[in-house]
Amino acid sequence: MRVSVLQENLAKGLSIVGRAVSTRSTLPVLSNILLSTDEERLKLAATNLEVGVSCWLGAQIEDDGAVTLPARLLTDWVNSVTPDRIDMELSVRSMSVHLKCGRFESNIKGIDASEFPLIPTGDGEEPLNLPPATLRKIIDQVVFAAADAKDTSRPALTGVLARFEGDRLTLAATDGYRLSLRRTALPAAAPADISVIVPARSLQEVSRISGEADPEQPVELAVAAARNQILFRLCGKGEAEKGTFYQVALVSQLIDAKFPDFNAIIPKSYTTRTILDTAALQRALKVASLFARDASDRVIFSITPGETETAGRLTVRATSAEAGDNVSELDAVVEGAAVEIAFNVRYMMEVIAVIDTPEVVLETTRSDRPGVFRPVGAGPEEFTHVIMPMQLQR
Amino acid sequence: MCARAILHVDLDAFFVAVERLDNPALIGAAVIVGGRPEVRGVVASASYEARKYGVHSAMPTAQALRLCPHAILVSGHRGRYSEMSARVMAILADYTPLLEPLSIDEAFLDVTGTEAHYGPPGRLAHAIQARIQAELGLSASFGVATNKLVAKIASDLHKPHAVTVVPPGEEAAFLAPLPIRKLWGVGAITARELERLGLQTIGDLARCPIDELRRRFGASGEGLWRAAHGLNDSPVTPEHEAKSLSREETFAQDIRDRNVLRRELLRLSDAVAMRLRRHGLQARTIGLKLRYGDFSTLTRQTTLAEPTDAGPVIYEHGLALFEAAWDRRAVRLLGISGSGLTREGRQLRLFEQGDQRQAQLDAALDRIRARYGERAVQRASLLEEPEELWIGRETE
Repeated sequence: MRVSVLQENLAKGLSIVGRAVSTRSTLPVLSNILLSTDEERLKLAATNLEVGVSCWLGAQIEDDGAVTLPARLLTDWVNSVTPDRIDMELSVRSMSVHLKCGRFESNIKGIDASEFPLIPTGDGEEPLNLPPATLRKIIDQVVFAAADAKDTSRPALTGVLARFEGDRLTLAATDGYRLSLRRTALPAAAPADISVIVPARSLQEVSRISGEADPEQPVELAVAAARNQILFRLCGKGEAEKGTFYQVALVSQLIDAKFPDFNAIIPKSYTTRTILDTAALQRALKVASLFARDASDRVIFSITPGETETAGRLTVRATSAEAGDNVSELDAVVEGAAVEIAFNVRYMMEVIAVIDTPEVVLETTRSDRPGVFRPVGAGPEEFTHVIMPMQLQR
Repeated sequence: MCARAILHVDLDAFFVAVERLDNPALIGAAVIVGGRPEVRGVVASASYEARKYGVHSAMPTAQALRLCPHAILVSGHRGRYSEMSARVMAILADYTPLLEPLSIDEAFLDVTGTEAHYGPPGRLAHAIQARIQAELGLSASFGVATNKLVAKIASDLHKPHAVTVVPPGEEAAFLAPLPIRKLWGVGAITARELERLGLQTIGDLARCPIDELRRRFGASGEGLWRAAHGLNDSPVTPEHEAKSLSREETFAQDIRDRNVLRRELLRLSDAVAMRLRRHGLQARTIGLKLRYGDFSTLTRQTTLAEPTDAGPVIYEHGLALFEAAWDRRAVRLLGISGSGLTREGRQLRLFEQGDQRQAQLDAALDRIRARYGERAVQRASLLEEPEELWIGRETE
């Protein structure tokens, strides 16, 4: 194998596939990144057996070939050298790669590419198309509500439910304390109605990569139900630009578990409806969080209706036994009865961060019943976030 | 700076006194509350009549009975002691919210600034002493001083049924003639080392140059010097600010039966959970303490994703720690603790309604126990346990 590639492009490619490298594996080759020539491009690939990411870079191929190199060493090396052309040459006999960039020359020992697991790239599945910005947004609006991947006792909750029904896609995630639900229209009907659970970590990667994809080119998405996999294919911004990729394919295992019936826990009614300025609420939460930190992150919302509907008020209180306390007051449009309810401020901040309308509505009933956040102005079915309160008095 | 007024209350031969309330035939007799000698029991409390013969708590019962053969041995009634202790604490709490229970039969009270209301602290101590005697039939000794250290030493000095007042400014003079071992916080090892230096009394220690103490005892040398001068500024901390809550049991007989140990863990977990709930606290960290027959002791702890006050949750984690740590040898002591305490409301769950139901059940059971005693409602799995398995320890 003899390949030349721009340092910026290789660095970008390594950062794309790097997250998929296995950090704790008994299989040494999984700590490596596969480099192989593929139709006049350099392909990088990494996998931890849950998710596999392949990335194609524009490169000058002199001789075809393939090898795997230690991810950490290769990445650190590429990020340390000057932004010049990197020439790589594999010595098959010693299974080491000679790298040259500007005035740097190194040899890195590798492992035979034949030991690297085969990562399916999704050819042959019938894909759905979504604009990268849309995909990124809907993922970001739900993925944070999933349970931590380390929570092995509830595998279904470590993933995001993706339900394809005709030309509608529903994403849902919950960690048992909050539920994020996002519905969106697909440009075309899905080949089949299907529900799958995708590991939250995989979708976080898809979101991250979507941010660097060509906004004009759709992301292809395909469910390979028989293989229990979901595939995403994204296009880069073009090879003329430095620090970009040509194409990325991400394949993720699906979680084989039963997702809880979330419709049952979405409140059907409310007794108080409060409309708030999103930015003002975000600021009030940020300040309150400074004091809630050593008080289990608890903040107390006191919602009071005014003389007229628009003269309502929300007070956000946080008290720390050690640090002190904070009270913030916000104007609000309050419809219904006064209510006091406590929430985890971190949960609140996470949901407000993904609401991009200027106003947000909070629907509540009792202090021990879930509250519902929705963006104001978006369609009622677009985004719903259900959040369980904390106990008010103890 | 205004001098503080600290009371240390210590109930006199508390377990024996409670037994006498329930069985007047024991009044005037040498009484030992403790485990039976056949099961290697130890003395938990001894009446003053028995103490005259050299019997003291933590002594093996067999030895105590050799010293005082005519003593009447009574096995303990833990539930009753807790109940009476709670009633004493309730009386104390009438006088100040700054009440720090130190153990089942001891507490500190900070009564600074109550003079206008209750008169000088010495008079207040007499009044509380009389009230505990009249309402509960229990005798208590009081130490009155400007800090916890001196108050604690004072309460012990003229036991039983004494009130010892150390006026402000006389702390060092009060301590000076006392043997070094009386100094609170000085263990047997430190005391031996100090005695080797020729220091017999607290006064000797106070006269020792602080630099020499620092050289010999490092950072704690200064603490010793301050203590010897009767200087102490640690505040009276009401119990809810405790860093951890724990329950442990020393078994009269070492236990290697896994089922019995599990049952004990369950009981301890329930007890810790109940104490947490009583104080409106939840624990984020669960600890296990395990002591084998040879006194080798190990502790393990685990931190939960969310704080809890539920017995089954504490048991589940305590059991996991136990199963991982236990090497199948016979166990002498088992303890469960909850730390990382928070009193903030818990995060409610969207789905599993189970824990909310558990919380309601716990609250109902707690109400029953508060009214009819700790043993009024128990887990069926805990019913078979014979009384001799546990023995608490009354503090000296």
